[in-house]
Amino acid sequence: MQIILFRRLCLAFLLAGMFSTAAHAFVGVVKTVEGEATITRKGKTLNVVTGMEIEQADIVRTARDGLVGLIFSDDSMIALGPGTEISVDDYLFEPLGKKLSLVIQLIRGTMSFISGQIAKLAPESVQLVMPAATIGVRGTHVLMKVE
Amino acid sequence: MHRYPSVWIVLAAMMLVAACSHRSVVALVPDPDGAVGQVTVSNAAGSIAIDQANQTTVIRDDQTVPSAPTTVDAAQLEKLFGAVVNTPMPPPVHFILHFQSDSDQLLPVSRKALPKILTAIAARMPTRVSVIGHTDTVGNEAYNVALSMRRAQAVRKLLVDSGIADNIIDVSSHGEENLLIKTADNVANAQNRRVEVVVR
Repeated sequence: MQIILFRRLCLAFLLAGMFSTAAHAFVGVVKTVEGEATITRKGKTLNVVTGMEIEQADIVRTARDGLVGLIFSDDSMIALGPGTEISVDDYLFEPLGKKLSLVIQLIRGTMSFISGQIAKLAPESVQLVMPAATIGVRGTHVLMKVE
Repeated sequence: MHRYPSVWIVLAAMMLVAACSHRSVVALVPDPDGAVGQVTVSNAAGSIAIDQANQTTVIRDDQTVPSAPTTVDAAQLEKLFGAVVNTPMPPPVHFILHFQSDSDQLLPVSRKALPKILTAIAARMPTRVSVIGHTDTVGNEAYNVALSMRRAQAVRKLLVDSGIADNIIDVSSHGEENLLIKTADNVANAQNRRVEVVVR
């Protein structure tokens, strides 16, 4: 029994390696943009346009007139209001390797979060972090504001 | 005024604390399908759960327990959270495709879904498309995952042959870890053996 379990574990690692690291895993996409918004990625700041990919560790900022809508690979949807800053601290949607994680930090401003499949498969791995508190979600739609 | 410098120090300190406190507000609202989930808001001082629509909690700072939930109306929600309350985003569309047994040949009924997928992609440009292979829980896992990956690649090829740019398509396999129909291990289930196309 233990041997079978071990073999299954090995297999899971093998397969996860085979299929997840082939290309960089798709995290999310910018679906809507109004006004000005930027993404800071590896020290570079880019203007946000629709169709742009979101990557782990991205910092997304909206100007005073900015609105941004993001759709993630697990169907999670995030809307950012004006004067908002978030950072995508951790994002993994690889059920085959049981690698599931969504950690988004709202540093300032307003955000709407609609949970996706990560919250269904592993609710404890979804964390919405604010400076004064952390939110855990169970399949849900939540609004947040940090002054 | 000079006689009370401590008052000013205290006032300045209070303003500084207010500036650093990052007062925050959290509200639970219905999902797009009307269902209401649950959130837990926690910090060093404690934790509260919210499970009713339009309940809010205020977090003064990280050393203060989030306030007891209060229910607000739509106007108050909009006042609190502004534009994000009414930023409609079309949710991603999912298409499920099925195949002939032990083969990467689409079933005729699933082949008919292709034009619908192409229409959805065109309507949502610029977009990203995921093609995800899934298996049921009958072993041999390695074989199943390889087969579902082959099926996913076959769907990718169909999309590319229909004019969809390869660089907006993301191909992966979830194996038996993301079942459509929940079953025990080693259960054959035709609905779980599928390729899912997600258009965002």
